[in-house]
Amino acid sequence: MTVAIETELALLIDVGSAWAKASVIGRVRGRWRLVTRVAQPTSWGAGELHRSLLERLDATVDPRLTSRLDELLASANRIECHTARRPGRIVVAAVSRELSGGAARRAAEAAGWQVAEVVTLDDGRSLADRLARLQSVETDAWVIAGGFDATRSPRALEAAALVASARRRGSGPVIWAGSAELAAEVAALFEPEGCSTVGNVRPDPRREVTAPLREHLQGLLRTVVAREDETHLAAIALPRAIGALAAASGLRILAVDIGARGAISALAEPDGSFDSRIHGGGGLAGLAGVASSAARVSRLAGDAGDEATVADLLQTLRSRPASLPETPEELSATHAAARVQAGSLVEDAALGPLDLVIGCGSTIAGAPLPAQAARILLDGLRPIGVTQLAVDAASVLGPLGTLPDGEIREGIGLLAEDLLVPLGTAVVCRGGEPGRVAMRVTVHRPGWPDAAPVELRSGQLQVVPLARGQEAELTIEPGDGVTLGAGRRSLRVQALATGGAVGLILDARGIPIVLPRRGDDRRAMVVSWRDALAREPAPGVERVA
Amino acid sequence: MSVVHRVRLPIGAVPMVEVGHLVEPAEVLATRRPPGPGVSIPVAAPLHRSPADAAECLSVTPGSYLEAGERLAEDRGREAVAPSACLFLAYDRDDGTALVAPLLANEPIVGHVRGEVSSIDDEGMEIRIGGALLEGVGGTGSAVHGELRVAVHEPGEELRAGMIDVGATGRIVVGGSRASAETLTRARAMGVAGIVLGGMLDKELRDFEASQQRRRQVGGVPGDFAVVLLEGFGKVGLDPGLFAWFRAHEGRMASLFGDSARVYVYDAGPPPTRRALARVGDRVIAHRRPHAGGAGELVRLLDAPRAAASGIAVRSALVRFEDGPIAIVPLANLEATEPVPGA
Repeated sequence: MTVAIETELALLIDVGSAWAKASVIGRVRGRWRLVTRVAQPTSWGAGELHRSLLERLDATVDPRLTSRLDELLASANRIECHTARRPGRIVVAAVSRELSGGAARRAAEAAGWQVAEVVTLDDGRSLADRLARLQSVETDAWVIAGGFDATRSPRALEAAALVASARRRGSGPVIWAGSAELAAEVAALFEPEGCSTVGNVRPDPRREVTAPLREHLQGLLRTVVAREDETHLAAIALPRAIGALAAASGLRILAVDIGARGAISALAEPDGSFDSRIHGGGGLAGLAGVASSAARVSRLAGDAGDEATVADLLQTLRSRPASLPETPEELSATHAAARVQAGSLVEDAALGPLDLVIGCGSTIAGAPLPAQAARILLDGLRPIGVTQLAVDAASVLGPLGTLPDGEIREGIGLLAEDLLVPLGTAVVCRGGEPGRVAMRVTVHRPGWPDAAPVELRSGQLQVVPLARGQEAELTIEPGDGVTLGAGRRSLRVQALATGGAVGLILDARGIPIVLPRRGDDRRAMVVSWRDALAREPAPGVERVA
Repeated sequence: MSVVHRVRLPIGAVPMVEVGHLVEPAEVLATRRPPGPGVSIPVAAPLHRSPADAAECLSVTPGSYLEAGERLAEDRGREAVAPSACLFLAYDRDDGTALVAPLLANEPIVGHVRGEVSSIDDEGMEIRIGGALLEGVGGTGSAVHGELRVAVHEPGEELRAGMIDVGATGRIVVGGSRASAETLTRARAMGVAGIVLGGMLDKELRDFEASQQRRRQVGGVPGDFAVVLLEGFGKVGLDPGLFAWFRAHEGRMASLFGDSARVYVYDAGPPPTRRALARVGDRVIAHRRPHAGGAGELVRLLDAPRAAASGIAVRSALVRFEDGPIAIVPLANLEATEPVPGA
């Protein structure tokens, strides 16, 4: 006698610029669970993804379903997000490289644009050279900036005139992000509707205000370049999912995805509001050919080889983004590059204390060891205070973010513990003097005898085992001059830590991390931190570096 | 076979050819008069107006091209005119002058490709090329053209300075696995048009670029030069199949575009192509260390994901490399080489 069984499947697909990830979720005994997942280079195509999923499902599901798998998968609800087909290219023309030009460039990059050229009136080039550069560059849009508010800078007008001279009429929108006094004059240089005005990125010598330009450019990127259903863009979908997760959990959440080409960061508040940034050159490919980046990655990795070797690897990440590191050295350098890019994502953002940091995408969430993912998040973002760390290992957050608002929250609720893989909790402090006690942490675990406080000196990193599902109450006593990011310096901080694949990470390495100058010392320190995080602990035994 | 190459035309360029015209690599496709250094010319003074008032009398907007004697501003019969052909850039309301960039002598725009002009628009022209296109992973330099000359004996052999002689002048030299910055410097000094390599250290390439930049600043670099890397960065040889194809086409005219890493070889048959997602029996090329540049046969696809030495567990394949070893390689790091039709 054959027993017919009913099931429901849904297919969540995240198509990145280099890798495509697909997860199948199915209703199992009344609950939606993650059934299987596959990841493959995007260039292999949808047919191969479907075939791989069938192969995995065949080995996973109830044998009575195997003959119907193709039909079930074909009829599964398909929820998909993808990276924009191509980057938007933008030109920045400004008065000053350091002030208006730098601010406009940062705003454009944070909005997901690839800055094709920056021309400033103090860049050392001749007028003819500037014009030649602007006339030869291929671009989708132009940003002009210069002049402080309430002033009438002829130099700012000259920057605008350069663009007017180099740009073909109607060839791409122009955004004026300079002195408000000049807005009408600048707009008059272009055809009607050709130039729009946003707030000055440098309203006075001491202030940089990039948000209005960034927000305008984010919208422009979608209308000028994407030209597709924007809710399916990963850059839109992931922040929506993080916002819904923050609202559902009441947590302040930061999510980061370091992709092959670009990067996304999304900061969501407990009320569900969120602020997201797309960094056009923030992916692993973005470091290739950038002066000093190879040296920096080599220093940070410690065990990835010399600068020349790392420079070749960075170029490989750019030119063959779907390929994978096979050697430990290449993996180490790739993760160090991810840490550099993660740091760049938040370097001009005032994050404040976070409740949860989520690593998304193949580089972080697909790291071979949970400790490696934790290290990218910790070293790159330096989340001060007590923060849970997790990864979106199944790459479901992006696809879920494409659903209508109410359904995102429902999807998050349905997947429950399959949604994220918790890595543990990090306690990161700032300040203190080398060699002195930075913090003293007492860990109270229900059912465990009270242990002696863990003393951590500045520069040290220590892991206390705390498995997934376990909780611990922490009493943290910061040392002299040490802070956990709270508004008021307290003698004693109480916090709750939840466990995960790595455990409780006590991190007194400071913000930012300062490495020894001497090469041997630096390598020894970097390797000791790596080992402290990665060692398989004996139960109840702390790992210290 | 044929491919289409697009030549971008800057603003102000005047096409010198028409659709259907057969162009040669050195042929001038268009000309333009580039703007030169900016100069200020008085506007308010000849109008007898204050600098601020004269702004209202301007008859041009920034970006306007003016002929010699053409009016810049006019007021009650008085006018300010362009002293020579120029590009109007800006008007200074404080001193009443106009910033203009006089147009320099005509400059030719050379396509560096041979083929038939298939379309022309404001922004560029497309040229259909009878030949093969190879797209590389990186490179440096401008557009050049010349006859192909294979300078190494093996696809994995390093191109050394001693292999560059006077016979290479004006040619595009095909090397093997790498070349040092010194070799590139010598090649350029010998008048070599360009170099095609399997791979090269990124650091060597940057060092070469930096030395060329310094020489340019002191005016010591005549002519154009380009380098294109076809396989990867580091010591990576050319695929033996591709190397054999280059040998078969030695002496053919080729064009090299360093910045966009493109190589056109004229009157050439299709080159060996690549395909992602290799299958059992395919000849494959590996792209990551420790097998970067290695060619072999994909013997078997492993049933389950396999962890590489890095710890990354992915679909992997057993590859018998042509230089001997058998190794397990992530499938994502392999490309299948397609045989050349008719070869």
